[in-house]
Amino acid sequence: MRHYEIMVILDPSLEERTVAPSLDTYLNNVIRSSGGSVEKLDVWGRRRLSFEINKKAEGIYAVIDLQATPAAVAELDRQLRLNESVLRTKVIRPEMR
Amino acid sequence: MAKAAALRKPKKKVNPLDKDGITYIDYKDTALLRKFISDRGKIRARRVTGVTSQQQRQIARAVKNAREMALLPYTTTAR
Repeated sequence: MRHYEIMVILDPSLEERTVAPSLDTYLNNVIRSSGGSVEKLDVWGRRRLSFEINKKAEGIYAVIDLQATPAAVAELDRQLRLNESVLRTKVIRPEMR
Repeated sequence: MAKAAALRKPKKKVNPLDKDGITYIDYKDTALLRKFISDRGKIRARRVTGVTSQQQRQIARAVKNAREMALLPYTTTAR
């Protein structure tokens, strides 16, 4: 188990209040089912991007703190990227610096 | 001696990170990172920022991570 931090930028046309539940289903399916735990799910809300991504000037940011195995996190990242309303993801291990 | 002093006076820079007691540079903290980039969005040199080389590397990495997530610009044209 390792501590990871995942940041996701989502399509701004989504409803902001649907973001947390839909991310939670991903976390349930991938992280919790494989024995990991989610420490924090923080939805920042709509934020201006400093440059356009896929022709969009804004994005909904969400930051997830979790404990999980490397394989589970890789799978979560893969599944998030497959979702078309996910503009960008980043996985970070905060202790690695 | 007097001439050398007139030519350049080495001014001791205060380390801005040690001063504020920051030990971990977070790529999400754009307010902090903005202090270390120029108004064109370039990472400021260590001789300008006055941090240690280890801290400078952490800053550079944080800025690059922040750029990937569109928190900071890659470039800014005259603004």
